[in-house]
Amino acid sequence: MKTFDLVIIGGGPAGIAAAATAANHGLEVALIDERPTLGGQIYKRVGPGFKVKKASEVGKDYYLGEKLIAELDNSKVNIYFETLVATIENSEVVVIQNGKSAERLSFRKLLISPGAYDRPVVFPGWTLPGVITAGAAQSLVKTQRVAPGSRIFFAGSGPLALAFPAQLSGYGANIVGIIEAAPRPGILKSIRIALSVLGNFDLLRDAAKYQFHLISNRIPMNYRRIIVSANGKNRVESVTHARVDKNWRVIPGTEKTVDVDALCIGYGFFPSVELFRLLGCELGYEESRGGTVVKLDEWGATTVANVFGAGDGTGISGSYVAIARGRLAALKIAVELGKISESSLSKLAAGFRKTLNRRVRFQGAINNAYEIKSGIYGLANEKTIICRCESVTLESILPVLESTIDPSVVKAYTRCGMGMCQGRNCQRQISALIAEKAKISISQITQATPRFPTKPISLGQIADSTVSSEKYFIDAE
Amino acid sequence: MLNSDFLPGYLSQSENIEELPKQSDVVIIGGGLLGTALSYYLAKAGVEVTLLERNDLNREASGTNAGSFHFQIALHQLTENMTEADDKRLVDETKLMLDAAKLWDDIEKELNADLGVHFTGGFMVAETQEELQVLRDKQRIEEAAGLETHVMTGNEMREFAPYMAPDLSGIAFCPREGHANPLLVGPAYAYRAHELGTKIRTNCEVSRIEQITGNPGYRFKVHTNRGTILCNRVVNASGAWTAELSSQLGLNLPMGLSGLHVNVTEPREFFLSSMIQHIGRRLTLKQTANNTFIIGGGWPSREEKFPLRYSNIWESAAGNAAVAVRVLPMLKDVQLVRVWSGVWAYTNDFKPILGESEKIPGYHIAMVPTGFTLGPMVSRMLAEYMTQPGTQNLLPKEFHVDR
Ligand SMILES: Cc1cc2nc3c(=O)[nH]c(=O)nc-3n(C[C@H](O)[C@H](O)[C@H](O)COP(=O)(O)OP(=O)(O)OC[C@H]3O[C@@H](n4cnc5c(N)ncnc54)[C@H](O)[C@@H]3O)c2cc1C
Ligand SMILES: Cc1cc2nc3c(=O)[nH]c(=O)nc-3n(C[C@H](O)[C@H](O)[C@H](O)COP(=O)(O)OP(=O)(O)OC[C@H]3O[C@@H](n4cnc5c(N)ncnc54)[C@H](O)[C@@H]3O)c2cc1C
Repeated sequence: MKTFDLVIIGGGPAGIAAAATAANHGLEVALIDERPTLGGQIYKRVGPGFKVKKASEVGKDYYLGEKLIAELDNSKVNIYFETLVATIENSEVVVIQNGKSAERLSFRKLLISPGAYDRPVVFPGWTLPGVITAGAAQSLVKTQRVAPGSRIFFAGSGPLALAFPAQLSGYGANIVGIIEAAPRPGILKSIRIALSVLGNFDLLRDAAKYQFHLISNRIPMNYRRIIVSANGKNRVESVTHARVDKNWRVIPGTEKTVDVDALCIGYGFFPSVELFRLLGCELGYEESRGGTVVKLDEWGATTVANVFGAGDGTGISGSYVAIARGRLAALKIAVELGKISESSLSKLAAGFRKTLNRRVRFQGAINNAYEIKSGIYGLANEKTIICRCESVTLESILPVLESTIDPSVVKAYTRCGMGMCQGRNCQRQISALIAEKAKISISQITQATPRFPTKPISLGQIADSTVSSEKYFIDAE
Repeated sequence: MLNSDFLPGYLSQSENIEELPKQSDVVIIGGGLLGTALSYYLAKAGVEVTLLERNDLNREASGTNAGSFHFQIALHQLTENMTEADDKRLVDETKLMLDAAKLWDDIEKELNADLGVHFTGGFMVAETQEELQVLRDKQRIEEAAGLETHVMTGNEMREFAPYMAPDLSGIAFCPREGHANPLLVGPAYAYRAHELGTKIRTNCEVSRIEQITGNPGYRFKVHTNRGTILCNRVVNASGAWTAELSSQLGLNLPMGLSGLHVNVTEPREFFLSSMIQHIGRRLTLKQTANNTFIIGGGWPSREEKFPLRYSNIWESAAGNAAVAVRVLPMLKDVQLVRVWSGVWAYTNDFKPILGESEKIPGYHIAMVPTGFTLGPMVSRMLAEYMTQPGTQNLLPKEFHVDR
């Protein structure tokens, strides 16, 4: 089995930056990503063959990603592509490389930077073909250069609610409307927000550009409105949206319906905390950073020895923070492994620390402007599917909520969360339903027990016939 | 018939937070299958019962097991050199299983509920010639006990079960085996017990059982996180925690604990109506009504301190998957979705601990290793004993609490 000074899970901005920094200081590093290329979500590599109307709207991320990835060019980082980390135990990661059997890599230090995924939002029709998350639409465009439809509607909230459709429109896609649940920001607020958007300063300029793009392309943009339903027989044919109050509760009688063939949903992200949970790292809850977040010290150390975290997988903070966090963690790890001296640490870290602190200053602005409001959990009706893997509707969940506040009990009775996605889509909604019924805060609800594998893997790849069952006989004496 | 969809709603939040009753004839500790089944049979006989569960009902072994009825003689019942005494023991154990089978025949009618009970048979497979010999030896014992099994090899085997690895040395098939939905059986018993007047309190953890005097009619004061309750009789049905609570009273139970690993896969088109076990390696395997495969068989999981749940070990998944794929090759491409683990409590002789302590009159224990298969039946046996005091001989001697 190979042993590395540092194993990094996730080749997005956080993981790449950490790998490059650590390798620079002489650490032997393994960088693992389940995708065939580096870059993570924001720096996802573009495939050939799609016509770009205005390259500048997508070019910047692509360029920045190229620069960051190039840092690895002459380093000795061992990159494992198409390799899934299935679990972690005893200072070893269990990895499954595309098509192959499970293997183990042993580490002295571990950095987990698995990024985030789109927040699922449950409303009537959300499982209809043609309804996709904004991130998925973005990935389609970035990697396949395919638009999700010919009449695309955007519903969302948050800093990226504008960016997504503008980007997509830049590729030539036909956007027929955009709704944002939050109120239109005042001028001062919008400057502050733009400054703080995912720690990304040029987004002030970008935001203006996006806004300009939307206006000049006459794409209708409405604030204080939320998605109410996606309608259609076998796929989405129209969407209904309505005005909301300040808690994002729908105001009856304000509904409007638009004909569309694709609906993109972008209400922010959830951190991928599965691996942190498996290891027993202490977690917290911050709705504005995606809900469940990982407790980190100033260097990114978790509460579990030798395990660090960075990037959106520890709480949504954007790519600039991800990079800074990745580098800070790498420096600290280099010190702990005796590769650089304690005394030089603060000097080496100063620049990255500054980026990080700036982010903290703007946290407040984001917090109140883009906090997801409770109305987002109240869009389903009794017939709406809550767990899409197992087709469980709200009406079959409600009776269970009479007698428990434990999502695992709801799961046992209804199969909610037992399917392929293992609750990534429905568990927050279940927690919200329980919280409302029991009149407690969603952060107080315990989540289902974390278990491997992080994603489904074939039994053939897991099977190891060298493990003897004799060793495991229960000794009755 | 009770539609299982409505099972969960009957215990209201308010009932859960209501005060404990001041006293009760019987207090049952533990809301697993044994505790809930016992409360039903006692309540049906008119006994006043209070059931205390520290968590929600049915969340430990009874809600984490694989739901199989194991009637065939299995690996863990065999010893290296089988003697005549061993044969006799196995005949008795198999007869007990057959009694349990009869109860399962009628349980859906008894509780008027759909519990996913199916008798679709079970396989026991052999890979080597020695293992095949074991299949033949065990068949002889099973026949003596009245359990029908068929041993098949070669083309007969391949025709009967074409999906199995063609190079197995042989298979035994037992038409009487089957399964039920473990997530519903305990709750259904609790539901019916509740209808019959049993008071159920969840989130109620027993910390101490105090023997008291000078309070006519009450021999125990049970201490919980929600106050105390007086009772005349206690039944400890706390599964893996039975020994812990009993040791407070000076009883040393001959039992041990083991974390067990279970795998569940993605769904595939249904084809496997019978479960599969292995006579020489750790494997139980079945396709569920949801078309997923549940694979287990006794691979270990890692102990954790309560309230954490036992954690899983990759090696167990890897070893278990290897045996499963060896026996049922099509599983190779089927995806594992999740693993879990449960705490399994066993006795050193694999026999139930069932009955009233002679050392501490009024203190009862209900504990059994193959508790899903046998749980309802041993609970009914104990209820009979408790409603006809003095009839010690209702319970087999080898189940004795003070043994
Ligand atoms: C859908 C989506 C769209 C976004 N769009 C924008 C945008 O337009 N503009 C913007 O400024 N920001 C955007 N963001 C935010 C931005 O992408 C993130 O801030 C940034 O990518 C965070 O970097 P990261 O390194 O933490 O994670 P990521 O970039 O997400 O990288 C994590 C990597 O880890 C890998 N990984 C995860 N789990 C495992 C595992 N178990 N085994 C192996 N590999 C694993 C993943 O394959 C991924 O490549 C978006 C985020 C998402 C989720
Ligand atoms: C993974 C696994 C697979 C299995 N597969 C099978 C199978 O296929 N077939 C089969 O026949 N058997 C199987 N078994 C065994 C079977 O599940 C158990 O024997 C049976 O469920 C035991 O039931 P019980 O009611 O005694 O225990 P449990 O279901 O564990 O119930 C005990 C209850 O007591 C509660 N409790 C504990 N302490 C306290 C306290 N201090 N105060 C209040 N409440 C307390 C617990 O919370 C729990 O709910 C399996 C077991 C496991 C773990």
